[in-house]
Amino acid sequence: MNGYRPGDDVGIVDHEEKLYVAALPDGPIVVLDGISALIWDEACAGPRETLVDRVAALTTAAPEAIRAHVDGFVADLVARRLLQ
Amino acid sequence: MSESQVSVPLPVRLRFGHAAVQHLARQIGVDILHIKGAAVDPSLRPGNYAGSDVDVLVRPEHVPALDRAMRQHGWRLYSTFEYGSPFGHAQTYIHDAWGFIDLHRYFPGIRLEPERAFDVFWSDRQEIEIAAVGCLVPGLAAQAVLLLLNAARAPHQPRPDVSAAWRKASDEQRREIERLVGRLHAEVAFAAATGTLERHRDARDYRLWKVASEGGSRTEEWWARITAAPGVWAGLRVAARAPLVNVDHLAHRLGRIPRRRDIVLEFIRRPLRAVLEAARAIARKAVRR
Repeated sequence: MNGYRPGDDVGIVDHEEKLYVAALPDGPIVVLDGISALIWDEACAGPRETLVDRVAALTTAAPEAIRAHVDGFVADLVARRLLQ
Repeated sequence: MSESQVSVPLPVRLRFGHAAVQHLARQIGVDILHIKGAAVDPSLRPGNYAGSDVDVLVRPEHVPALDRAMRQHGWRLYSTFEYGSPFGHAQTYIHDAWGFIDLHRYFPGIRLEPERAFDVFWSDRQEIEIAAVGCLVPGLAAQAVLLLLNAARAPHQPRPDVSAAWRKASDEQRREIERLVGRLHAEVAFAAATGTLERHRDARDYRLWKVASEGGSRTEEWWARITAAPGVWAGLRVAARAPLVNVDHLAHRLGRIPRRRDIVLEFIRRPLRAVLEAARAIARKAVRR
């Protein structure tokens, strides 16, 4: 299964260790900082089914402990059409 | 994840502003070119300065369509072509998410008809990525010309971009810039930026660029505009506008929509200011004698 990618109508700015994403042309600007930026990067970097495991490995967390948070966060980004 | 309640740094906001207006223009089939700020090639932008607003040059016949679309997508008119600047070349919009954008229908200093001037820039356009969106910009020589013409309107300001665009340019780059200035009929404003304005003392718009580049009183500015206007009727139209109140500026100064009384008061104050300036000028001349 493929990974996620930014939505077709999305602008992205990487600035001073924060990621800013926005639906164009109306906005708003969403700020992804720390763990949320890491999840975005990983979501776009590999398969969907291993996303939780990869984030868990990078944050030394147990996959089951973070699964609901990661899935919920990504679902929210998809609902906002920031990810697809 | 947090939304616009948190402060978004200006350089970030500006990049999104470029991307948003490009996205919209592409959606409705309007030709725009991003000029100044983040759209300028880094070689012409000392210190990586990204400006304080977004500037786009719009194909003149496409201005109404872009204006309509922008208003439908949350941009509010902040100042109009008529009152935004003495040149009437741009109007400013503000958007809650993207901040300010200046929409240019032509560029001051270029005497070639706006439609043909846009074609000159468009024919040499390039695409750069801003906020992950492909944005169209003029070619490098055209960017240098626009920076120089822009600098001609900024009296008494240090302009590192003039240094980058002209003083540090190679002979070949200078020849290319001069060729483009010739095609655009922008010799006088260009001379004002590069310190050779006195060679154009006989030009119709010499006084205008003298005041624009060196500063001057409001009265001097209006006389310069009347002299620079192409033909008697255009000059009279400028003259007729001179005593009118700039409602946009007044609104921003008051922080609210001006009431009839505010406009009347301002209407009275402006000629008084002009008389005062004239009296000061006469007094200065008397002192010199």
